[in-house]
Amino acid sequence: MAYNYDKYLRLEKMPTLWCWGCGDGVILKSVIRAIEKCGWDQDDVCVVSGIGCSGRFSSYVDFNTVHTTHGRTVAFATGIKLANPDKHVICVAGDGDAMAIGGNHTIHGCRRNIDINMIMINNFIYGLTNSQTSPTTPQGMWTVSQKAGNIDPTFDACDVAIASGASFVARETMINPKKLEKVLVKGFQHRGFSFFDIMSNCHINLGRKNKMGTAMDNLEWIDKITMPKNKYDKLSEEEQLNLFPTGVLKHDENAREYCDMYQEVIAAQQGKRDKITQDDFEKKI
Amino acid sequence: MAHMEAPENTPVWVDEDRCKACDICVSVCPAGVLAMRPEPSSTLGAMVEIIEPDSCIGCNDCELNCPDFAIYVAEKSEYKFAKLTDEAKKRAQAIKDNNYRILSA
Repeated sequence: MAYNYDKYLRLEKMPTLWCWGCGDGVILKSVIRAIEKCGWDQDDVCVVSGIGCSGRFSSYVDFNTVHTTHGRTVAFATGIKLANPDKHVICVAGDGDAMAIGGNHTIHGCRRNIDINMIMINNFIYGLTNSQTSPTTPQGMWTVSQKAGNIDPTFDACDVAIASGASFVARETMINPKKLEKVLVKGFQHRGFSFFDIMSNCHINLGRKNKMGTAMDNLEWIDKITMPKNKYDKLSEEEQLNLFPTGVLKHDENAREYCDMYQEVIAAQQGKRDKITQDDFEKKI
Repeated sequence: MAHMEAPENTPVWVDEDRCKACDICVSVCPAGVLAMRPEPSSTLGAMVEIIEPDSCIGCNDCELNCPDFAIYVAEKSEYKFAKLTDEAKKRAQAIKDNNYRILSA
């Protein structure tokens, strides 16, 4: 008996519509294993996804699922979580979904530190619409919208999440699914906004024109641009320039969670406590 | 869900309806158990084949890295897996050098 993924899948939707060798499938498997490891019941999990290749994520898994509008995953998930604080909400977005059109929702989800697990599948390109420049496309790469080479500076999604106030921020690649699973479990069990930047391959729409036309070539390139955080920290600034650190980049267990704070609002409205004042918060400005 | 159950005395098996022939499992196999055979009916013209089941070490890497839920490895209690030999390592390298295709005898 091999690992039973089928228990969590909508079998009538199999095989997946993703291209051959697409990292989304590996991430989907890791998420399923992580959910099982957390011991969550299938009915207690809600997967919210947006538009893009990553948007198909919610169609394949047999949890409560919502396939939302472009970029609004965190907005929908915030509503779901506030209405059902005891349920587990997992947001899945692509790099365009989370950083471009949904950039403001991501920032404000992080700021509120609401207990949502946001998985950003970062394939460095708008894959579904055939290779337009995304916020995370490396400079100098060929894209359909910038055929002479991309000149837009590259977004570091984890830096954005840390600066916006997410209490758990991690970066992983899909090259090592076991490590990915471990980081996912850690983030899922963390109470607060967990942001994962998971690097994935798109050898079809990014790789073909950028000298990495097979899944393996693309994965090799991802391997080359990432480095575990403890090793990365020892490098000089110059050596760090072309590398992304992987692993847990921020883990703040003391940050207050939004649903908990909202309970205070409910209590105040019901007259069970005094109105909320600045004295309730450590940080006043 | 039938394909989840390990066929008797089999370390690793493939659901060919789901496999898209991306070569990833072949590239991660350390023991040269897998290789791609030509298959005209498949979209990419290839299909994964278990060429040396006896060499399988049960590392589970192919199952973990398969994006399409297509390849499965038996549990350690179900099958007595082999140890990694130099011959298996060499075969794995030869398959990789052969663009993941099956080695012609």
